[in-house]
Amino acid sequence: MRRRSSEDRAIGDFVDRVLSRPGSRREFMKKAAGLAAAGGAAALPGCGGPAGEEVMLKWKEYFKGNYRLMTRKEKDETVRRLERLAKLQDGVDVQVSTRPEWKQVLFGYGFNITRCEGFMECVSACVRENNLDRISKTQYVRIFEMEHGQMNVALGDGKFFHEVPVEGHFYMGVQCFHCESAPCIKACPTKATWREPDGIVVVDYDWCIGCRYCMAACPYWGRRFNWNEPSVPKDEVTRKQHYLGNRKRTRGVVEKCTFCIQRTREGKLPACADACPTGARVFGNLLDPESEIRYVLKNKKVFRMKEELGTDPKFWFFID
Amino acid sequence: MKRLALSVTLCAVALTCGCRPEAGHESGVGAVIREAAEPVDSAEAAAVVQMDLPAAVLSEVQGPGGRFRVAARKGEMERFRCSGCHKGKTVGISGAAGTAHDDIALRHGEDQGRLGCATCHHEKERDFLVGADEEKIDFDHSYQLCGTCHFRQQKDWAGGAHGKRVTYWAGTRIVKNCTSCHNPHSPRFARRWPATFSPPLDEVR
Repeated sequence: MRRRSSEDRAIGDFVDRVLSRPGSRREFMKKAAGLAAAGGAAALPGCGGPAGEEVMLKWKEYFKGNYRLMTRKEKDETVRRLERLAKLQDGVDVQVSTRPEWKQVLFGYGFNITRCEGFMECVSACVRENNLDRISKTQYVRIFEMEHGQMNVALGDGKFFHEVPVEGHFYMGVQCFHCESAPCIKACPTKATWREPDGIVVVDYDWCIGCRYCMAACPYWGRRFNWNEPSVPKDEVTRKQHYLGNRKRTRGVVEKCTFCIQRTREGKLPACADACPTGARVFGNLLDPESEIRYVLKNKKVFRMKEELGTDPKFWFFID
Repeated sequence: MKRLALSVTLCAVALTCGCRPEAGHESGVGAVIREAAEPVDSAEAAAVVQMDLPAAVLSEVQGPGGRFRVAARKGEMERFRCSGCHKGKTVGISGAAGTAHDDIALRHGEDQGRLGCATCHHEKERDFLVGADEEKIDFDHSYQLCGTCHFRQQKDWAGGAHGKRVTYWAGTRIVKNCTSCHNPHSPRFARRWPATFSPPLDEVR
């Protein structure tokens, strides 16, 4: 009973505040919903159980803001809710990071088409690292087997499964290229996808409405849609997560490669670059003239896919 | 005098016209990269990145980005140290067959005429490799030996276009040794089945 009365007081305070200030409708809805959920959960029979807690957490999650507009406190709160929900729903202990970009860092990627031999280690590492849906076999990276002399990936074989490498062929990896002038960002009607200051194009999965305009806008086939509720076996879940990276997604939202934001903002290489057995993948800071990616740009013959579109991708293919 | 003024003007016009498309081309990430000329000393890298430096030796090759570290090899080698068996007395091939090195298939430099053991291994100082001038080369620094033939690859490796960096893109640069990835006796990667496969494009909507 004590709890109810404190909530009543909170509702009273809230109504006072709303009435004393011409606040936004959204703010009102959000707060009212939060309190209603708290009250509703308490009114449920057998309240205080995990079911009631889960309902309340999900309700609060539903009414949170866009990540870019969240205060430090709001970010910490949503992280706590997400970690608790992962425990309640899936029984896994995850750590969701909100580490911001590093200063003076702009990420860039190099892909050596002379070295790649199509072993696909990058693809399976990516699936594991990013908790990609195992049911629909979602993959961020696609490797195309191309005939020598061919430069159009549309004519390459993106579903090969035989011993590699095959004589007279080369292999070309395609994923999100994190364009500086990304058409997907411009197409999004809800501002659920944007370019982070370190150049990573990210998606706020809780702000995406699943319209798939971004997918239509992307000329590189970089985005994936969750047609079903994504599922990852409990013991295969990567627990070190990032809010803008490999945390749990739901049915009906778009996702894509984030340069493994949960790894790269900890100073690590993306999972694909780390897993590559041939050293075909180079990753680093474009703003650092001593970085490996800058060596590649300066010394190797590089090209970008569909450069004429002006999307300005930060992903260069190169040859030895 | 007039003609001189005209030609000067024409030259100036030609120069500015010649520059303009160039300047227009240098927009976006290209311009950003060109302007970033100073090495980045990231405070985050120092604070966040924790590396196991003893597992790597300091390279004796100067890279374009300064000195870097190379993954040590001796701890990874199954049968080091060699002088455990090879101590002064000759080991006949028939005597060693089936015991020590019969897993070695030498497929290295075949188009140049096959290499022998002593092309790379020091005949007297058994725990070392041998350089072009009969000098000893430590197994941890085997890249120095590889670079005597594969100097082009060594240049790219020192710069970062060949080979692999270990775990971190930030902090101290540690790269793998040549022999971390390539079997020196058979350096080309073996043909094999891929780790996974991708569903056909028309099944992914």
